[in-house]
Amino acid sequence: MQPYISDQPKKFDLVTKILANEQVAQDHYLLRCVCPEIAEGALPGQFVHVLISFESAMLLRRPFTIYSVEGDQITILYQLIGAGTEVLSHLSCGDLLHVMGPLGNSFRIPPNLDPAIVVGGGAGIASLMLHAAALRKLGVRTLGLVGSVNAARLLTVVDLEGIDVETHISTDDGSVGHHGFVTEVLTQILEQPQVHELHNPAIYACGPHGMLRAVAKISRTYRVPTQLAMENRMGCAMGVCLGCVCKIRTPDGGFEYQRVCTEGPVFDSEDIVW
Amino acid sequence: MDKNSPSLETHVASIRMKNPVMTASGTFGYGNEYADFIDLNQLGATVVKGITNVPWPGNPMQRIAETPSGMLNAIGLQNVGVDNFIEKKLPYLRNFEIPVIVNICGERLEEYEEVTEKLDGTHGVAAIELNISCPNLHCGGMSFGVDSKLTHQLVNAVREKTALPLLVKLSPNVTDITVIASAAADAGADGLSVINTLLGMAIDIKTRRPMLENVTGGLSGPAIKPIALRMVWQIYNTVKIPIIGMGGIMTRDDAIEFFIAGASAVAVGTANFVNPRAPLDIIDGIREYLEQNGITSIGALVGSLQT
Repeated sequence: MQPYISDQPKKFDLVTKILANEQVAQDHYLLRCVCPEIAEGALPGQFVHVLISFESAMLLRRPFTIYSVEGDQITILYQLIGAGTEVLSHLSCGDLLHVMGPLGNSFRIPPNLDPAIVVGGGAGIASLMLHAAALRKLGVRTLGLVGSVNAARLLTVVDLEGIDVETHISTDDGSVGHHGFVTEVLTQILEQPQVHELHNPAIYACGPHGMLRAVAKISRTYRVPTQLAMENRMGCAMGVCLGCVCKIRTPDGGFEYQRVCTEGPVFDSEDIVW
Repeated sequence: MDKNSPSLETHVASIRMKNPVMTASGTFGYGNEYADFIDLNQLGATVVKGITNVPWPGNPMQRIAETPSGMLNAIGLQNVGVDNFIEKKLPYLRNFEIPVIVNICGERLEEYEEVTEKLDGTHGVAAIELNISCPNLHCGGMSFGVDSKLTHQLVNAVREKTALPLLVKLSPNVTDITVIASAAADAGADGLSVINTLLGMAIDIKTRRPMLENVTGGLSGPAIKPIALRMVWQIYNTVKIPIIGMGGIMTRDDAIEFFIAGASAVAVGTANFVNPRAPLDIIDGIREYLEQNGITSIGALVGSLQT
Protein backbone atom coordinates (compact mmCIF):
# COMPACT_ATOMS: atom_id res chain seq x y z
CA MET A 1 0.00 0.00 0.00
CA GLN A 2 1.22 3.46 -0.85
CA PRO A 3 1.14 6.63 1.20
CA TYR A 4 0.02 9.79 -0.55
CA ILE A 5 3.65 10.91 -0.40
CA SER A 6 6.67 9.27 1.14
CA ASP A 7 7.92 11.96 3.52
CA GLN A 8 6.11 13.82 6.21
CA PRO A 9 5.74 17.41 5.07
CA LYS A 10 7.17 20.32 6.99
CA LYS A 11 5.22 21.44 10.04
CA PHE A 12 4.06 25.00 10.65
CA ASP A 13 2.73 26.86 13.67
CA LEU A 14 0.43 29.62 12.46
CA VAL A 15 -1.51 32.34 14.22
CA THR A 16 -4.80 32.66 12.42
CA LYS A 17 -8.20 34.30 12.73
CA ILE A 18 -11.34 32.21 12.84
CA LEU A 19 -13.45 32.73 9.70
CA ALA A 20 -16.45 30.66 10.80
CA ASN A 21 -17.36 28.47 13.77
CA GLU A 22 -20.84 27.09 13.31
CA GLN A 23 -22.91 24.36 14.87
CA VAL A 24 -23.59 21.66 12.26
CA ALA A 25 -25.33 19.09 14.46
CA GLN A 26 -26.19 18.64 18.11
CA ASP A 27 -22.92 19.15 20.08
CA HIS A 28 -20.87 19.35 16.86
CA TYR A 29 -19.24 22.38 15.25
CA LEU A 30 -17.37 23.16 12.03
CA LEU A 31 -14.56 25.69 12.32
CA ARG A 32 -12.90 27.36 9.35
CA CYS A 33 -9.65 29.32 9.32
CA VAL A 34 -6.97 30.48 6.90
CA CYS A 35 -3.82 28.33 7.17
CA PRO A 36 -2.08 28.52 3.77
CA GLU A 37 1.04 26.48 4.56
CA ILE A 38 -0.96 23.78 6.35
CA ALA A 39 -3.62 23.66 3.62
CA GLU A 40 -0.90 23.22 1.01
CA GLY A 41 0.76 20.24 2.68
CA ALA A 42 -2.20 18.54 4.35
CA LEU A 43 -2.80 14.85 3.60
CA PRO A 44 -5.90 12.78 4.39
CA GLY A 45 -5.74 11.52 7.97
CA GLN A 46 -3.44 14.27 9.20
CA PHE A 47 -4.35 16.60 12.02
CA VAL A 48 -3.66 20.02 13.49
CA HIS A 49 -2.78 20.85 17.11
CA VAL A 50 -4.73 23.88 18.24
CA LEU A 51 -4.03 26.27 21.10
CA ILE A 52 -7.51 27.36 22.12
CA SER A 53 -6.85 29.41 25.23
CA PHE A 54 -3.95 31.77 25.84
CA GLU A 55 -4.48 31.49 29.59
CA SER A 56 -2.24 28.97 31.30
CA ALA A 57 -5.18 27.54 33.28
CA MET A 58 -5.99 25.36 30.27
CA LEU A 59 -2.47 24.53 29.32
CA LEU A 60 -2.36 22.10 26.45
CA ARG A 61 -3.30 22.27 22.78
CA ARG A 62 -6.05 20.04 21.36
CA PRO A 63 -5.66 17.78 18.31
CA PHE A 64 -8.27 17.86 15.52
CA THR A 65 -8.27 16.04 12.21
CA ILE A 66 -8.29 18.26 9.14
CA TYR A 67 -11.83 17.85 7.84
CA SER A 68 -11.47 19.68 4.54
CA VAL A 69 -9.07 21.85 2.59
CA GLU A 70 -10.32 24.58 0.30
CA GLY A 71 -7.69 26.84 -1.23
CA ASP A 72 -5.73 28.34 1.64
CA GLN A 73 -8.36 27.41 4.22
CA ILE A 74 -8.85 24.36 6.38
CA THR A 75 -11.82 23.25 8.43
CA ILE A 76 -12.05 21.10 11.52
CA LEU A 77 -15.19 19.30 12.66
CA TYR A 78 -15.32 18.86 16.43
CA GLN A 79 -17.56 17.50 19.13
CA LEU A 80 -18.13 19.13 22.51
CA ILE A 81 -16.42 16.68 24.83
CA GLY A 82 -14.73 18.76 27.52
CA ALA A 83 -13.52 22.12 28.71
CA GLY A 84 -11.33 22.72 25.64
CA THR A 85 -13.99 22.16 23.01
CA GLU A 86 -16.48 24.08 25.16
CA VAL A 87 -14.23 27.17 25.04
CA LEU A 88 -13.59 26.60 21.34
CA SER A 89 -17.31 26.52 20.58
CA HIS A 90 -17.71 29.99 22.11
CA LEU A 91 -15.03 31.61 19.94
CA SER A 92 -16.24 33.90 17.17
CA CYS A 93 -15.15 35.11 13.78
CA GLY A 94 -11.96 37.13 14.14
CA ASP A 95 -10.79 35.42 17.34
CA LEU A 96 -7.23 34.12 17.23
CA LEU A 97 -6.02 30.53 17.32
CA HIS A 98 -2.55 29.00 17.14
CA VAL A 99 -2.76 26.15 14.65
CA MET A 100 0.16 23.73 14.23
CA GLY A 101 0.28 21.24 11.40
CA PRO A 102 0.00 19.27 9.31
CA LEU A 103 0.86 16.46 11.74
CA GLY A 104 0.98 12.69 11.69
CA ASN A 105 0.93 10.14 8.89
CA SER A 106 -1.82 9.61 6.33
CA PHE A 107 -4.05 6.89 4.93
CA ARG A 108 -2.56 4.63 2.26
CA ILE A 109 -4.25 3.48 -0.93
CA PRO A 110 -3.64 -0.09 -2.14
CA PRO A 111 -3.38 -0.67 -5.91
CA ASN A 112 -6.65 -1.43 -7.69
CA LEU A 113 -8.73 -0.52 -4.65
CA ASP A 114 -12.44 -1.19 -5.35
CA PRO A 115 -14.30 -0.12 -3.34
CA ALA A 116 -13.02 1.88 -0.37
CA ILE A 117 -15.27 1.47 2.65
CA VAL A 118 -15.02 4.38 5.09
CA VAL A 119 -16.58 3.72 8.48
CA GLY A 120 -17.11 6.58 10.91
CA GLY A 121 -18.57 6.45 14.38
CA GLY A 122 -19.76 9.81 15.74
CA ALA A 123 -17.21 12.56 15.18
CA GLY A 124 -14.83 9.89 13.85
CA ILE A 125 -16.21 10.44 10.39
CA ALA A 126 -14.40 13.80 10.45
CA SER A 127 -11.09 11.93 10.07
CA LEU A 128 -12.30 10.23 6.90
CA MET A 129 -13.82 13.07 4.88
CA LEU A 130 -10.60 14.37 3.33
CA HIS A 131 -9.65 10.81 2.44
CA ALA A 132 -13.04 10.10 0.88
CA ALA A 133 -12.70 13.26 -1.20
CA ALA A 134 -9.21 12.25 -2.37
CA LEU A 135 -10.40 8.74 -3.25
CA ARG A 136 -13.30 10.10 -5.27
CA LYS A 137 -10.93 12.41 -7.15
CA LEU A 138 -8.87 9.34 -8.03
CA GLY A 139 -12.08 7.73 -9.29
CA VAL A 140 -12.19 5.11 -6.55
CA ARG A 141 -15.70 3.87 -5.76
CA THR A 142 -16.35 4.67 -2.11
CA LEU A 143 -18.94 3.49 0.40
CA GLY A 144 -19.51 5.70 3.44
CA LEU A 145 -20.85 4.09 6.62
CA VAL A 146 -21.87 6.82 9.03
CA GLY A 147 -22.90 5.92 12.57
CA SER A 148 -24.42 8.27 15.10
CA VAL A 149 -26.23 8.26 18.43
CA ASN A 150 -29.31 9.78 16.81
CA ALA A 151 -30.49 11.83 13.83
CA ALA A 152 -29.72 15.12 15.60
CA ARG A 153 -26.04 14.24 15.84
CA LEU A 154 -25.66 12.83 12.36
CA LEU A 155 -22.66 14.31 10.53
CA THR A 156 -21.26 14.77 7.03
CA VAL A 157 -23.85 12.76 5.12
CA VAL A 158 -24.58 15.68 2.78
CA ASP A 159 -20.86 16.25 2.21
CA LEU A 160 -20.28 12.58 1.42
CA GLU A 161 -23.25 12.37 -0.93
CA GLY A 162 -22.01 15.56 -2.62
CA ILE A 163 -18.89 13.70 -3.78
CA ASP A 164 -20.84 10.62 -4.85
CA VAL A 165 -20.02 8.44 -1.87
CA GLU A 166 -22.65 5.73 -1.43
CA THR A 167 -23.73 6.42 2.16
CA HIS A 168 -25.25 4.02 4.68
CA ILE A 169 -26.58 5.60 7.85
CA SER A 170 -27.05 3.96 11.22
CA THR A 171 -28.22 5.38 14.53
CA ASP A 172 -28.22 3.89 18.00
CA ASP A 173 -31.85 4.89 18.55
CA GLY A 174 -33.08 4.11 15.03
CA SER A 175 -34.21 7.69 14.42
CA VAL A 176 -32.69 7.48 10.94
CA GLY A 177 -31.16 4.66 8.88
CA HIS A 178 -30.26 1.27 10.32
CA HIS A 179 -31.29 0.89 13.97
CA GLY A 180 -28.05 -0.20 15.59
CA PHE A 181 -24.30 0.12 15.30
CA VAL A 182 -22.37 1.14 12.22
CA THR A 183 -20.35 -2.06 12.60
CA GLU A 184 -23.53 -4.08 11.97
CA VAL A 185 -23.92 -2.30 8.63
CA LEU A 186 -20.29 -3.10 7.86
CA THR A 187 -20.90 -6.80 8.52
CA GLN A 188 -24.03 -6.78 6.34
CA ILE A 189 -22.06 -5.31 3.44
CA LEU A 190 -19.15 -7.72 3.82
CA GLU A 191 -21.66 -10.63 3.93
CA GLN A 192 -22.83 -9.70 0.43
CA PRO A 193 -19.68 -9.18 -1.65
CA GLN A 194 -21.52 -9.75 -4.96
CA VAL A 195 -24.33 -7.31 -4.20
CA HIS A 196 -21.85 -4.59 -3.22
CA GLU A 197 -19.30 -5.56 -5.88
CA LEU A 198 -16.46 -5.94 -3.39
CA HIS A 199 -13.68 -6.71 -5.89
CA ASN A 200 -10.68 -5.50 -3.93
CA PRO A 201 -12.03 -3.68 -0.88
CA ALA A 202 -10.23 -1.90 1.94
CA ILE A 203 -11.71 -0.46 5.12
CA TYR A 204 -10.81 2.90 6.66
CA ALA A 205 -12.32 3.60 10.08
CA CYS A 206 -12.32 6.14 12.86
CA GLY A 207 -14.50 6.40 15.94
CA PRO A 208 -14.80 5.36 19.58
CA HIS A 209 -12.35 2.77 20.88
CA GLY A 210 -14.98 0.04 21.20
CA MET A 211 -16.17 0.59 17.64
CA LEU A 212 -12.64 0.40 16.24
CA ARG A 213 -12.02 -2.77 18.15
CA ALA A 214 -15.19 -4.23 16.62
CA VAL A 215 -14.10 -3.09 13.14
CA ALA A 216 -10.72 -4.78 13.66
CA LYS A 217 -12.46 -8.05 14.57
CA ILE A 218 -14.81 -7.88 11.58
CA SER A 219 -12.00 -7.07 9.16
CA ARG A 220 -10.06 -10.08 10.42
CA THR A 221 -13.08 -12.34 9.96
CA TYR A 222 -13.69 -11.17 6.38
CA ARG A 223 -9.96 -10.71 5.60
CA VAL A 224 -10.28 -7.14 4.41
CA PRO A 225 -7.20 -4.90 4.80
CA THR A 226 -8.09 -2.17 7.25
CA GLN A 227 -6.56 1.07 8.42
CA LEU A 228 -7.70 2.71 11.62
CA ALA A 229 -7.23 6.36 12.59
CA MET A 230 -6.53 6.21 16.31
CA GLU A 231 -7.17 8.94 18.85
CA ASN A 232 -5.68 9.55 22.26
CA ARG A 233 -5.07 12.30 24.77
CA MET A 234 -2.17 14.26 23.36
CA GLY A 235 0.50 16.42 24.90
CA CYS A 236 2.98 17.85 22.41
CA ALA A 237 1.90 16.25 19.09
CA MET A 238 5.58 16.61 18.16
CA GLY A 239 6.60 13.11 19.17
CA VAL A 240 8.53 14.07 22.28
CA CYS A 241 6.22 13.67 25.28
CA LEU A 242 5.27 10.05 24.50
CA GLY A 243 1.86 10.65 26.04
CA CYS A 244 -0.38 9.59 23.13
CA VAL A 245 0.87 6.07 22.51
CA CYS A 246 -0.90 3.06 21.03
CA LYS A 247 0.11 -0.58 21.61
CA ILE A 248 1.55 -1.98 18.38
CA ARG A 249 2.63 -5.54 17.56
CA THR A 250 6.31 -6.08 16.74
CA PRO A 251 7.69 -8.76 14.36
CA ASP A 252 9.24 -10.70 17.26
CA GLY A 253 5.77 -11.39 18.68
CA GLY A 254 6.00 -8.70 21.32
CA PHE A 255 4.70 -5.17 21.29
CA GLU A 256 5.87 -1.59 21.57
CA TYR A 257 4.18 1.70 22.31
CA GLN A 258 4.07 3.86 19.20
CA ARG A 259 3.08 7.51 19.12
CA VAL A 260 -0.36 8.31 17.69
CA CYS A 261 0.98 11.79 16.79
CA THR A 262 4.01 10.58 14.84
CA GLU A 263 3.86 6.91 13.76
CA GLY A 264 0.05 7.38 13.59
CA PRO A 265 -2.70 8.40 13.75
CA VAL A 266 -3.29 5.82 10.98
CA PHE A 267 -2.29 2.25 11.84
CA ASP A 268 -2.92 -1.05 10.09
CA SER A 269 -5.66 -2.76 12.02
CA GLU A 270 -3.66 -6.00 12.16
CA ASP A 271 -0.82 -4.27 14.02
CA ILE A 272 -2.87 -2.97 16.92
CA VAL A 273 -2.87 -4.85 20.21
CA TRP A 274 -6.27 -4.29 21.86
CA MET B 1 25.67 41.55 17.70
CA ASP B 2 25.89 44.98 19.27
CA LYS B 3 29.01 45.23 21.38
CA ASN B 4 27.04 46.92 24.16
CA SER B 5 24.38 44.25 24.30
CA PRO B 6 24.42 42.26 27.54
CA SER B 7 26.30 38.99 27.79
CA LEU B 8 24.12 35.92 28.06
CA GLU B 9 27.08 33.56 28.22
CA THR B 10 26.89 31.19 31.15
CA HIS B 11 28.94 28.43 32.70
CA VAL B 12 27.38 25.62 34.66
CA ALA B 13 30.40 23.84 36.11
CA SER B 14 32.55 23.38 33.01
CA ILE B 15 29.61 23.39 30.59
CA ARG B 16 29.93 26.54 28.50
CA MET B 17 26.68 27.87 27.08
CA LYS B 18 26.16 30.91 24.88
CA ASN B 19 22.95 31.64 26.74
CA PRO B 20 21.43 30.27 29.94
CA VAL B 21 18.40 28.53 28.44
CA MET B 22 18.23 24.78 27.87
CA THR B 23 15.44 22.41 27.01
CA ALA B 24 14.44 20.05 29.81
CA SER B 25 14.74 16.28 29.58
CA GLY B 26 11.71 14.48 28.16
CA THR B 27 10.20 17.61 26.64
CA PHE B 28 12.38 18.04 23.57
CA GLY B 29 13.03 14.47 22.43
CA TYR B 30 16.39 14.06 20.78
CA GLY B 31 16.32 17.49 19.11
CA ASN B 32 15.37 16.55 15.55
CA GLU B 33 11.64 16.59 16.39
CA TYR B 34 11.71 20.38 16.66
CA ALA B 35 13.81 21.05 13.55
CA ASP B 36 10.92 22.71 11.71
CA PHE B 37 10.55 25.29 14.47
CA ILE B 38 13.91 25.84 16.10
CA ASP B 39 17.54 26.20 15.08
CA LEU B 40 19.10 24.12 17.82
CA ASN B 41 22.24 26.25 17.62
CA GLN B 42 20.33 29.10 19.22
CA LEU B 43 19.76 27.15 22.45
CA GLY B 44 22.09 27.33 25.43
CA ALA B 45 22.06 23.53 25.66
CA THR B 46 19.70 20.62 25.27
CA VAL B 47 19.01 17.81 27.72
CA VAL B 48 17.83 14.67 25.97
CA LYS B 49 15.09 12.28 27.06
CA GLY B 50 16.10 9.99 29.92
CA ILE B 51 18.22 7.04 28.81
CA THR B 52 18.55 3.65 30.45
CA ASN B 53 20.98 0.77 29.88
CA VAL B 54 18.47 -1.19 27.77
CA PRO B 55 15.37 0.06 25.88
CA TRP B 56 12.34 0.53 28.11
CA PRO B 57 8.78 0.05 26.80
CA GLY B 58 7.18 2.60 29.14
CA ASN B 59 3.87 2.50 30.99
CA PRO B 60 0.47 1.46 29.58
CA MET B 61 -2.01 4.10 28.41
CA GLN B 62 -3.42 6.51 29.61
CA ARG B 63 -0.18 8.30 30.28
CA ILE B 64 -1.08 11.97 30.49
CA ALA B 65 -3.85 14.20 31.82
CA GLU B 66 -4.33 17.95 31.82
CA THR B 67 -4.85 19.58 35.22
CA PRO B 68 -5.38 23.24 36.13
CA SER B 69 -2.32 25.16 34.83
CA GLY B 70 -0.44 21.94 34.42
CA MET B 71 -0.35 18.33 33.32
CA LEU B 72 0.32 14.94 34.83
CA ASN B 73 2.45 12.36 33.11
CA ALA B 74 3.32 8.76 33.82
CA ILE B 75 5.31 7.86 30.71
CA GLY B 76 7.53 5.44 32.57
CA LEU B 77 10.74 6.47 30.82
CA GLN B 78 10.02 4.85 27.46
CA ASN B 79 13.35 5.19 25.67
CA VAL B 80 15.57 3.59 23.05
CA GLY B 81 18.34 2.56 25.46
CA VAL B 82 21.89 3.89 25.62
CA ASP B 83 23.30 1.87 22.68
CA ASN B 84 20.58 3.00 20.28
CA PHE B 85 20.93 6.52 21.59
CA ILE B 86 24.64 6.63 20.79
CA GLU B 87 24.22 4.93 17.43
CA LYS B 88 21.00 6.49 16.12
CA LYS B 89 20.19 9.69 18.01
CA LEU B 90 23.50 11.28 18.96
CA PRO B 91 24.89 11.64 15.39
CA TYR B 92 22.13 14.16 14.58
CA LEU B 93 22.91 16.19 17.68
CA ARG B 94 26.62 16.26 16.78
CA ASN B 95 25.68 18.53 13.85
CA PHE B 96 25.12 21.36 16.30
CA GLU B 97 27.49 23.43 18.39
CA ILE B 98 25.48 23.32 21.61
CA PRO B 99 26.28 21.16 24.63
CA VAL B 100 24.26 17.95 24.69
CA ILE B 101 23.46 16.84 28.21
CA VAL B 102 22.32 13.24 28.57
CA ASN B 103 19.76 12.45 31.25
CA ILE B 104 20.25 8.93 32.60
CA CYS B 105 18.12 6.72 34.79
CA GLY B 106 17.97 3.20 36.13
CA GLU B 107 16.33 0.88 38.59
CA ARG B 108 19.58 -0.16 40.24
CA LEU B 109 22.85 1.62 40.97
CA GLU B 110 24.74 -0.69 38.60
CA GLU B 111 22.51 0.39 35.71
CA TYR B 112 23.43 4.04 36.26
CA GLU B 113 27.11 3.04 36.30
CA GLU B 114 26.74 1.02 33.11
CA VAL B 115 25.08 3.85 31.19
CA THR B 116 27.66 6.31 32.47
CA GLU B 117 30.54 4.11 31.34
CA LYS B 118 29.07 3.94 27.85
CA LEU B 119 28.57 7.69 27.61
CA ASP B 120 31.92 8.62 29.13
CA GLY B 121 34.30 9.47 26.32
CA THR B 122 31.56 9.35 23.70
CA HIS B 123 32.03 12.21 21.27
CA GLY B 124 29.19 14.71 21.51
CA VAL B 125 28.22 14.18 25.13
CA ALA B 126 28.90 17.37 27.12
CA ALA B 127 27.55 16.30 30.49
CA ILE B 128 25.43 13.77 32.34
CA GLU B 129 22.26 14.60 34.21
CA LEU B 130 21.53 11.98 36.82
CA ASN B 131 17.79 11.42 37.10
CA ILE B 132 17.14 10.41 40.70
CA SER B 133 13.69 11.88 40.63
CA CYS B 134 11.45 10.13 38.10
CA PRO B 135 8.22 9.54 40.04
CA ASN B 136 6.85 6.93 37.65
CA LEU B 137 9.10 3.96 38.31
CA HIS B 138 8.32 1.26 40.80
CA CYS B 139 11.94 1.01 41.82
CA GLY B 140 14.96 3.18 41.10
CA GLY B 141 14.37 6.72 39.87
CA MET B 142 12.85 8.77 42.63
CA SER B 143 13.54 6.22 45.33
CA PHE B 144 17.20 7.30 45.18
CA GLY B 145 16.31 10.98 45.24
CA VAL B 146 14.19 10.98 48.38
CA ASP B 147 16.91 9.47 50.56
CA SER B 148 20.07 11.47 51.24
CA LYS B 149 22.22 8.38 51.91
CA LEU B 150 21.15 6.69 48.68
CA THR B 151 21.66 9.96 46.80
CA HIS B 152 25.20 10.24 48.15
CA GLN B 153 25.96 6.62 47.33
CA LEU B 154 24.63 6.86 43.76
CA VAL B 155 26.25 10.20 42.91
CA ASN B 156 29.52 8.99 44.37
CA ALA B 157 29.40 5.76 42.33
CA VAL B 158 28.64 7.55 39.06
CA ARG B 159 31.22 10.25 39.85
CA GLU B 160 33.90 7.56 39.87
CA LYS B 161 32.90 6.39 36.40
CA THR B 162 33.23 9.67 34.57
CA ALA B 163 35.11 12.94 34.34
CA LEU B 164 32.18 14.54 32.48
CA PRO B 165 30.35 17.31 34.30
CA LEU B 166 27.76 15.63 36.47
CA LEU B 167 24.39 17.26 37.13
CA VAL B 168 21.89 15.74 39.53
CA LYS B 169 18.18 16.26 38.93
CA LEU B 170 16.42 16.53 42.25
CA SER B 171 12.95 15.45 43.30
CA PRO B 172 10.66 17.97 44.99
CA ASN B 173 8.84 15.10 46.69
CA VAL B 174 10.91 15.41 49.86
CA THR B 175 10.59 17.06 53.26
CA ASP B 176 13.76 19.15 52.94
CA ILE B 177 15.34 19.40 49.52
CA THR B 178 18.47 21.09 50.89
CA VAL B 179 19.44 17.85 52.62
CA ILE B 180 19.38 15.94 49.33
CA ALA B 181 21.10 18.83 47.52
CA SER B 182 23.91 18.82 50.08
CA ALA B 183 24.30 15.05 49.80
CA ALA B 184 24.62 15.30 46.01
CA ALA B 185 27.12 18.15 46.25
CA ASP B 186 29.21 16.33 48.87
CA ALA B 187 29.32 13.24 46.65
CA GLY B 188 30.81 15.21 43.78
CA ALA B 189 27.94 16.64 41.74
CA ASP B 190 28.97 19.62 39.60
CA GLY B 191 25.49 21.12 39.41
CA LEU B 192 21.88 20.56 40.38
CA SER B 193 18.76 20.50 38.21
CA VAL B 194 15.89 21.79 40.33
CA ILE B 195 13.15 20.45 40.11
CA ASN B 196 11.66 17.32 38.55
CA THR B 197 7.88 16.82 38.64
CA LEU B 198 5.71 16.68 41.74
CA LEU B 199 3.83 13.48 42.43
CA GLY B 200 0.12 14.00 41.82
CA MET B 201 -3.08 12.40 40.60
CA ALA B 202 -6.43 13.14 38.98
CA ILE B 203 -9.70 11.19 38.93
CA ASP B 204 -12.49 10.84 36.38
CA ILE B 205 -15.56 11.25 38.58
CA LYS B 206 -17.88 9.64 36.02
CA THR B 207 -16.03 6.33 36.03
CA ARG B 208 -14.27 6.81 39.41
CA ARG B 209 -11.14 5.66 37.67
CA PRO B 210 -7.78 7.44 37.83
CA MET B 211 -7.03 9.64 34.82
CA LEU B 212 -3.69 7.83 34.54
CA GLU B 213 -3.35 4.06 34.25
CA ASN B 214 -0.40 4.34 36.65
CA VAL B 215 -2.81 6.08 39.09
CA THR B 216 -0.19 8.68 40.06
CA GLY B 217 2.05 10.77 37.83
CA GLY B 218 4.38 13.73 37.74
CA LEU B 219 2.86 17.22 37.74
CA SER B 220 4.52 19.85 35.56
CA GLY B 221 3.64 23.22 34.10
CA PRO B 222 2.90 26.65 35.59
CA ALA B 223 1.12 25.04 38.55
CA ILE B 224 4.48 23.99 40.05
CA LYS B 225 6.50 27.15 39.41
CA PRO B 226 6.16 28.70 42.88
CA ILE B 227 7.38 25.46 44.46
CA ALA B 228 10.30 25.16 42.05
CA LEU B 229 11.28 28.75 42.69
CA ARG B 230 11.18 28.27 46.46
CA MET B 231 13.38 25.19 46.19
CA VAL B 232 15.94 26.94 43.97
CA TRP B 233 16.10 29.74 46.54
CA GLN B 234 16.54 27.30 49.44
CA ILE B 235 19.29 25.38 47.68
CA TYR B 236 21.05 28.56 46.53
CA ASN B 237 21.35 29.52 50.17
CA THR B 238 22.68 26.13 51.22
CA VAL B 239 24.86 24.64 48.50
CA LYS B 240 27.57 26.34 46.49
CA ILE B 241 27.39 24.42 43.19
CA PRO B 242 25.44 25.93 40.27
CA ILE B 243 21.71 25.40 39.93
CA ILE B 244 19.71 24.91 36.75
CA GLY B 245 16.21 26.11 37.58
CA MET B 246 13.16 24.47 36.03
CA GLY B 247 9.51 23.90 36.75
CA GLY B 248 6.71 25.65 34.90
CA ILE B 249 8.80 28.19 33.00
CA MET B 250 6.56 29.46 30.19
CA THR B 251 7.76 33.02 29.66
CA ARG B 252 10.70 35.38 30.00
CA ASP B 253 9.37 36.66 33.32
CA ASP B 254 9.23 33.14 34.73
CA ALA B 255 12.86 32.58 33.73
CA ILE B 256 13.99 35.91 35.22
CA GLU B 257 12.45 34.93 38.56
CA PHE B 258 14.55 31.78 38.61
CA PHE B 259 17.79 33.71 37.96
CA ILE B 260 16.97 36.15 40.74
CA ALA B 261 16.28 33.21 43.08
CA GLY B 262 19.73 31.80 42.35
CA ALA B 263 19.65 29.69 39.20
CA SER B 264 22.68 30.04 36.89
CA ALA B 265 20.69 28.64 33.99
CA VAL B 266 17.12 27.56 33.35
CA ALA B 267 15.45 24.72 31.49
CA VAL B 268 12.21 25.04 29.56
CA GLY B 269 10.07 21.91 29.75
CA THR B 270 6.32 21.60 29.43
CA ALA B 271 6.19 24.96 27.58
CA ASN B 272 7.73 23.15 24.59
CA PHE B 273 4.52 21.14 24.26
CA VAL B 274 2.46 24.30 23.89
CA ASN B 275 4.80 26.65 22.07
CA PRO B 276 7.64 25.04 20.12
CA ARG B 277 9.44 28.38 19.99
CA ALA B 278 9.20 28.95 23.76
CA PRO B 279 12.95 28.56 24.49
CA LEU B 280 13.88 31.06 21.77
CA ASP B 281 11.21 33.53 22.86
CA ILE B 282 12.59 33.28 26.40
CA ILE B 283 16.20 33.82 25.25
CA ASP B 284 15.16 36.97 23.35
CA GLY B 285 13.14 38.10 26.36
CA ILE B 286 16.05 37.68 28.78
CA ARG B 287 18.29 39.78 26.55
CA GLU B 288 15.62 42.46 26.39
CA TYR B 289 15.16 42.43 30.18
CA LEU B 290 18.89 42.82 30.79
CA GLU B 291 19.06 45.71 28.32
CA GLN B 292 16.03 47.45 29.79
CA ASN B 293 17.42 47.16 33.29
CA GLY B 294 21.01 48.10 32.45
CA ILE B 295 22.38 44.73 33.54
CA THR B 296 25.54 43.86 31.62
CA SER B 297 25.57 40.09 32.12
CA ILE B 298 23.23 37.34 33.15
CA GLY B 299 25.65 36.43 35.95
CA ALA B 300 24.88 39.72 37.68
CA LEU B 301 21.25 38.71 37.98
CA VAL B 302 21.89 35.30 39.55
CA GLY B 303 20.91 35.24 43.22
CA SER B 304 20.16 38.97 43.24
CA LEU B 305 17.00 38.61 45.31
CA GLN B 306 16.50 41.65 47.55
CA THR B 307 15.28 40.57 50.95
